[in-house]
Amino acid sequence: MHERLIPTATERSPSHPARIFWVVLVVGTAIDIAAGWLLRQPDYGPHARIIFAVLPIPLNLVLVALIVRRIRQLDEFLRHVHLEAVAIAFLLTGVAVFVYGYLQQALVVHPLNFGIVWIFMVVFYGIGYLIAARHYR
Amino acid sequence: MKTRLRVLRAEKEWTQAQLAEVVGVSRQAIIAIENGKYDPALPLAFKLARAFGKNVEEVFVWEDDSLQEK
Repeated sequence: MHERLIPTATERSPSHPARIFWVVLVVGTAIDIAAGWLLRQPDYGPHARIIFAVLPIPLNLVLVALIVRRIRQLDEFLRHVHLEAVAIAFLLTGVAVFVYGYLQQALVVHPLNFGIVWIFMVVFYGIGYLIAARHYR
Repeated sequence: MKTRLRVLRAEKEWTQAQLAEVVGVSRQAIIAIENGKYDPALPLAFKLARAFGKNVEEVFVWEDDSLQEK
């Protein structure tokens, strides 16, 4: 019927990268949780605690590499949308952290747990993606 | 920038998904370009034009008067 000018995503990457991504995400999250749990146990010495603290790094780096590879496979339009989503997430996270810092100085809230910042980023990224996708619809 | 993409696609009786597959982009990209919400970069503009056997100027029309000589 018509000739394709470039190969489809499936032809470019036959190794099911989405499945690999989810496996790495689930295993990486399990290691994150396990490392956090181990660090809360008082029975381990300082050397073991350092190992527990750096345990999540390898799979998290693999996750970063998979995400970067996926971004490079996106077409220019989707990259544009995701760039806006990242920019919105970056700015809203900054605003949220600033406001939280002032509230902390006003002794209204407890000191910020840095693990929460990651959740802010993910939530604001989702909001940013919805805003950007809606804008270009 | 105005585009004749929707008209050319209708002439070929292609769906947005088919055109997206032909040029190797997402369907969302085709929707955004057809609705004038997104201007493609040159490589994609050339691919789209080539998919219809046209020149870029026959598919996309630049309408900014500020660059024209007075």
